[in-house]
Amino acid sequence: MKDNSSNVRYSQKKIKRSLTLIFFVLLVIVAVNYVDFNPIELVKSIPIFISFIFVDFFPLNTSDLGEYIKPVIDTLFISILATTISSILAMFLGILMAHNTTPWPICRIIVRGMVTFFRSIPFLLWASVLVVILGVGPLPGMFGLILFGTAFLARVYAESIEEIGPESLEALDSTGATYGQKIKHSVLPQFMPSFFSWTLFMFEINVRSSAILGIVGAGGVGVLIKESMDLFQYSKASTVIAIMILMILILEYLTNRIRERLI
Amino acid sequence: MKIKNVNHADIKINTELTAPGKKIRIVHKETQRHQNIFFGAVAVLFILALFFIEVDYNGILQGFDRLPSVIKELSQISFENFGTLAFGMLTTLTIAFLAVLISLIISFPISFIVAYNVTPNKFIGTIFRYATMLIRSIPTPIWVLIAVASLGFGPMAGIIGLLFPTTSFFVKAFAAQIEEEGSDVIEAIRSVGGTWWHVVIKGLLPVLFTGLIATIGVRFELDVHESVILGIVGAGGIGYLLQSYIQYYQFGDLTLGILMVFVTIFTLELVINLIRLRIGDR
Repeated sequence: MKDNSSNVRYSQKKIKRSLTLIFFVLLVIVAVNYVDFNPIELVKSIPIFISFIFVDFFPLNTSDLGEYIKPVIDTLFISILATTISSILAMFLGILMAHNTTPWPICRIIVRGMVTFFRSIPFLLWASVLVVILGVGPLPGMFGLILFGTAFLARVYAESIEEIGPESLEALDSTGATYGQKIKHSVLPQFMPSFFSWTLFMFEINVRSSAILGIVGAGGVGVLIKESMDLFQYSKASTVIAIMILMILILEYLTNRIRERLI
Repeated sequence: MKIKNVNHADIKINTELTAPGKKIRIVHKETQRHQNIFFGAVAVLFILALFFIEVDYNGILQGFDRLPSVIKELSQISFENFGTLAFGMLTTLTIAFLAVLISLIISFPISFIVAYNVTPNKFIGTIFRYATMLIRSIPTPIWVLIAVASLGFGPMAGIIGLLFPTTSFFVKAFAAQIEEEGSDVIEAIRSVGGTWWHVVIKGLLPVLFTGLIATIGVRFELDVHESVILGIVGAGGIGYLLQSYIQYYQFGDLTLGILMVFVTIFTLELVINLIRLRIGDR
C-alpha cells in the first residue's frame, strides 16, 4: 500500500516535470517566432560583432585625452552626490519602513509601496523623463540616480534593520527609552556594518550608471561615448570606454579596501 | 557579513561608573576612527562635488515651475496605444528571455574551464577569468550601443548586446559555486579513477543545478531591467516606444508605458520570489 502511494506520487512528479518541460519548450518556440529570431543569423552575427570590435575600435585614438578629464570627474562627482543624498534619504525611509522601527504601521505600507514603484522603473527611464523637465545636463541624471538609489537603499536598509534581533530594543524599552533613544542606541550601532556595505555597493552601481547616463543626454562620460559612436569615430569611443573600464575597476578595488577597514 | 575580530583589550570601557553623567564608551576605537575619517572624507568630497558640478539652481527652480504642468499632462493617461505598448513589453521580455537562455548554454562549459578546482588548464582558465571580468566591467548599454552600430537596429542587437554581460555574470556565479561546493565531489570521483568528463558530468552538473534557479531568477530580473533601457539605445521593445513618447511629448502614452513597466517588473519579482520559496521548501 505504502509502496503504491509513493509510486503514484513519483509518477505524478514525473508528469509534472514533463509538463514543465513541454511548457518551457513551447515558451522558447513562441519567443523565437515572436522576435523573428534566427539561430543561424545569431551564429553569423557574433563573428561580425567581434570583428567589428577588433577592427573598428583599435587602435585607440588618444589624441584628445585632455578633453576626457572633465567628464570623468563629472561622472565621479555625480555618483558621489547621488549616493550621499540617497543614503541619507533612504536611512529615514528605511527606519519608517522596517516593521520593528516603524512608528505607525500605515506609514510602513505607504512608504513600501512608493519605494517599490520607484525601484521597479529603470533609472535610465527616470533620467530620460527628467531630461524633459530639467533640461540637458548633469542634473536630471543626478536626480534619476537619487530616485532609483533612494528606493533601492531604503529597501535593503529596511531589510537589514529587520534582521536586528529584538533583544536590545526590548532591553531599551524596559528602561523607558524614548523612540529617538532606541533608534540611536540600539538600531543604529547594529545597523552600521550593513549600512557601509550597502552604501559602498550603491556607489559602485552609481558609478556604472552615471557612466551611461550620457546616452539620454544627462551628463558624464556617456555623452562622449554616444557622441563619438554617432559620428562613427569608433577609435575615440573605444578610448573613452577603456578609460571608463579603468575607472570602474579602480573604484571597485578602492571600495573593497574601504569596506575591509570600516566593517 | 564580515565582522572585524574585536580585541577585547581595545574596547574602552570607562570603569568610573560612580561619576554621574559620565558616558561609558563601548566602541571599537580603530573602527570608530576609520568611520570618522570616512564620514569626514565624504563630507569634503560632497562639498567639492557641489562646486564642481555647478549645480544650476535656477534650472532646478524652473524645473519645479514646470513640474505641475508636466504632472498634469502625465496624469491624463491615454489608452490609445495600449496594444502597441503591450507588444513592445512582450518584445522586451522576449529579448531578455532569449539572452538568458543562450547565455546559460554558453556559460556552462566556460565555467568549468574557469573554476580553479576543475580547470583542465590553469593558464587558459585565468585568461577566461580576466576576460569575463573585463566584459562585466563594461555596462550593458555600451554593449548594446556597439551591437546596434555593427548589426543595425532591432531585437538581434539587443540579444547580442545582453549576451556578453549575461554570460560573464553566469560564468562568475557558476565558477564560484563550483569552487565553493565542488571540491569534495571532485576528490571523491578522482579517487575512484574518474576522468575529467566524469567529474564534470556526474559530479559537478548536479551541484550546479541546486543554485541554478536562484541565479537565473536574479539575472532574468536584471536583464528585463536592462532590456527596457536597451530600447532607449535602439534595440527595439518598449524602451524604444517610451523614448519616442518622451521626444514627442506624448505624456499620456508615457504614463501608461511607465505603469506597464512597473506592473510587469513587479509581477516578475513576485513570481520569481514564489518559485524561489517553493524550491527552498523542497
